[in-house]
Amino acid sequence: MKILGYIFSFLVFPGFLFSSIMGLLVGWVDRKVTARVQWRVGPPWYQNFVDVVKLLLYKETLIPAGVSAGTFFLMPVLAASSASLVSTIMLMVNAFPKSGFIGDVIVVVYLMIMPSLALMLGGFASANAYASLGASREMKLMLSYELPFILSLVVPIMKSGFAVKFGTIISHQHASGLTIASASGVISFFVMLLCVQAKAGFIPFDMAEAETEIISGPFIEYSGKALGIFKLAKAILTFIIPIFMITLYFGGINFKGWGFITSVLEYVLILVLMILIKNTNPRVRIDQAVRFFWGPLTAFSIIAVVLAYWGF
Amino acid sequence: MAQDIILYSVFVPIAAGIFCFFLPDRMKILAKTAAIFITLLSLAAAIYLFIKKPAYWPNEIRALFIVDNLSSFIGIGISVFALLVTVYSMGFQEKAFGRFFAYLLMTLGGALGAAYANHLVILIVFWGFLAVTLYLMVNMEATAAAAAAAKKALIIIAGTDALMILGVGIIWNLTETFLMDRIQLPLTSFYSFMAFITIAIASFAKAGAMPFHSWLPDVAEDGPTPVTAYLPASLDKLLGIYLLARASMSMFIMNDASNMILLVVGSATIVLAVIFALIQHDLKRLLGYHAVSQVGYMVLGIGTGTAIGMAGGLFHMINHAIYKSCLFLTSGVVEKRAGTTDLSRLGGLAKLMPITFTCFLVAALSISGIPPFNGFVSKWMVYQGIIESASAKNYLWVIWLVSAMFGSALTVASFMKLLHAVFLGRPSKDFTKVKDAGLFMAFTVVILASACIIFGVFAFVIPLPILIIPAVNRAIAYIGIWAPAVATLLITAGIIIGFLAYLFLRPQSFRTVPVFEGGEDNTEFARVSGVEFYNTIKEINPLGAIYAKEEAKSFDIYYIAKRLIYSFTRYLQKIHNGVLPSYLVWCLMGMVVMFLILFLVY
Repeated sequence: MKILGYIFSFLVFPGFLFSSIMGLLVGWVDRKVTARVQWRVGPPWYQNFVDVVKLLLYKETLIPAGVSAGTFFLMPVLAASSASLVSTIMLMVNAFPKSGFIGDVIVVVYLMIMPSLALMLGGFASANAYASLGASREMKLMLSYELPFILSLVVPIMKSGFAVKFGTIISHQHASGLTIASASGVISFFVMLLCVQAKAGFIPFDMAEAETEIISGPFIEYSGKALGIFKLAKAILTFIIPIFMITLYFGGINFKGWGFITSVLEYVLILVLMILIKNTNPRVRIDQAVRFFWGPLTAFSIIAVVLAYWGF
Repeated sequence: MAQDIILYSVFVPIAAGIFCFFLPDRMKILAKTAAIFITLLSLAAAIYLFIKKPAYWPNEIRALFIVDNLSSFIGIGISVFALLVTVYSMGFQEKAFGRFFAYLLMTLGGALGAAYANHLVILIVFWGFLAVTLYLMVNMEATAAAAAAAKKALIIIAGTDALMILGVGIIWNLTETFLMDRIQLPLTSFYSFMAFITIAIASFAKAGAMPFHSWLPDVAEDGPTPVTAYLPASLDKLLGIYLLARASMSMFIMNDASNMILLVVGSATIVLAVIFALIQHDLKRLLGYHAVSQVGYMVLGIGTGTAIGMAGGLFHMINHAIYKSCLFLTSGVVEKRAGTTDLSRLGGLAKLMPITFTCFLVAALSISGIPPFNGFVSKWMVYQGIIESASAKNYLWVIWLVSAMFGSALTVASFMKLLHAVFLGRPSKDFTKVKDAGLFMAFTVVILASACIIFGVFAFVIPLPILIIPAVNRAIAYIGIWAPAVATLLITAGIIIGFLAYLFLRPQSFRTVPVFEGGEDNTEFARVSGVEFYNTIKEINPLGAIYAKEEAKSFDIYYIAKRLIYSFTRYLQKIHNGVLPSYLVWCLMGMVVMFLILFLVY
């Protein structure tokens, strides 16, 4: 019975189905805000659903000749599965902080790598030069943001008394102040915000897909169902990233009364920050991104760690 | 009974090895049968000893050999890898079966002897014996490159061996015993600290930790592939980390300074070696650098001084042996079938070698620390060890944690490059008729890849409670949560449903089309091999600085020592001019000096 409960929570709520719907809605918010920034009207709220349903049901799925079809089709599914697992874990630990569902913060950090990994392997498997190029950019980008990302992750861990369980991180913040309410917390929050910008593949760090240069990179050979599943994986990840940050910096999502409104506002704040960064910056080159993440951002995250040592 | 089995399991393989050595090449069936039979037997003996532990020889009071929780676990590991490499070699090896299996069996006996030894002198003897068998095995094919690699390995390992003899001398001086179970040295005095350092250096050289690592990539590139999978990838790791664990868990009472040395060595090894791996052009050499980098996690885990860190380090040791031998053996299949390990020539083999590709992928994901495979669990435990030591006032914990986690991201990067360059990407025209692994080779790599999955998914059911935690012999408290079985179940469910969706949501809409690259057929022109993936970030600091230093061989202790020695011997060389009269003059002058001394003293 317990297993069936797990499978239900993974597939339906709060896992795949729920997170996909939320992710597509978040995608609509993204498109709408972007449109407003650019003085356009923007699409209706159901536009993303229509797009995905079209891909999943109506468009044909093309297989590039001479590739390992198993790998080619496995990767979108793997990306969606691992993204759903991340969202299931994150929402479960926020709903029941004491339960300790499946994994801790280290596990989630590693599971969040998997969609990128699947994207890269999918790109590699499609035997297209543009896909290989894009996937190698994705890998280099991952290398670059991973260093400041880990360093900024250290601050919430330190602030919550060296805990890695989400339950402890949440309850410790409620007992002795939110991570964001400290100098080190603020610095590491902004560093992590830029890192997740790259993790989500948003401009200015979308050089892996770079439509105008390498024609969507790893996605170039994907079409139909496989592309639709990749899009869903991406939507789920975009939906869950702000929740990951709320858990680490704002003491998790509060489901009771007015607290829920605050949590939603925090969510919208993080999301809109990401969208605004996306809309006010041009795409950077990969070596510029690496220099940016290993240079100033790593320096800032080290400052945050040192401040956290001194208790600020 | 059990005590005799200890002796048999050490000396029977050595005797059988000597027997195989004298077998002529015509009788390769006999050599093969003997090798399989003896390795199976020694696995049975290792399991028997594991069940009957603790066992002593000749008796408990003055034991020369001890089989306890730690050494029986190492013994099983050694026997399993010997058996697997034997099976693999049946398919891989083409000639010289007698010699190959002779060395393999002698190594097996020597390794078991080193693992079970309780007397330091016996340990040194077997340790030295293993350095010799390593030399012989690497130099099997006697090419110039292999000979150079074998020489380098022998000099580094035997040199550190000599240091260990010095350390054992110090230990005897301080404790007046050679029995490892009696030694409990506090690291308070200078001499005991030196003794610890020498033993740690011996274990670093064996396992391949920096700065004693430089033999390993050379051996990996130029040595025979089964030998690389057998010694540097598995047995040397098991023994090196075994000695380090034995030294730091029981022989010495560790303090902050000694732990700090391990932490520094561990972190530096992880990050530097994987950075070197990133830009290699040869499949086996790249894997060799990873065999160095992964030692860092084991050393780091032991260096945390926490129970969970040590357990993580030991678990990583066995996990590393599994996935790294799997990686070497699968690349052996590629080498054998495609005839090259040059990354720029390979590519697109996944469709042609599905079994090899799948096993390689599983092992690559394991070494990259991707859940739910085995490498993730042990790395996760090491991270927890580091975080736990943070609350015990280990102020530099952030450095250790970040280098371990960032090192793992770099590992992912270099395996992405490998997967692209060897198995994925555009197939190269040269390898359109390559076949998959034969029966023996496929059997071995499938077993190893399954072990990666089983040790990962059922980590808390099979390997940890049975093998690792008894060996650490301390209570372990996890500070994190990881339920690999549930997570795997869910991801698998997702994958199955995804494939059902592919098949049953309007299944008629699949079509095969040629790859689209601007609408032209530029197949060979637009082939990306993957070797050049990281060239665009090579110049960026700190990578640029590290590569420049590596280019100047500043990390190669062998090269530095060679430079140092040549700087003395340059002057001595001048004396050797090959002219007979000048040698006679030297002799005459020497005699005159000797007579003068004799004359003046007496």
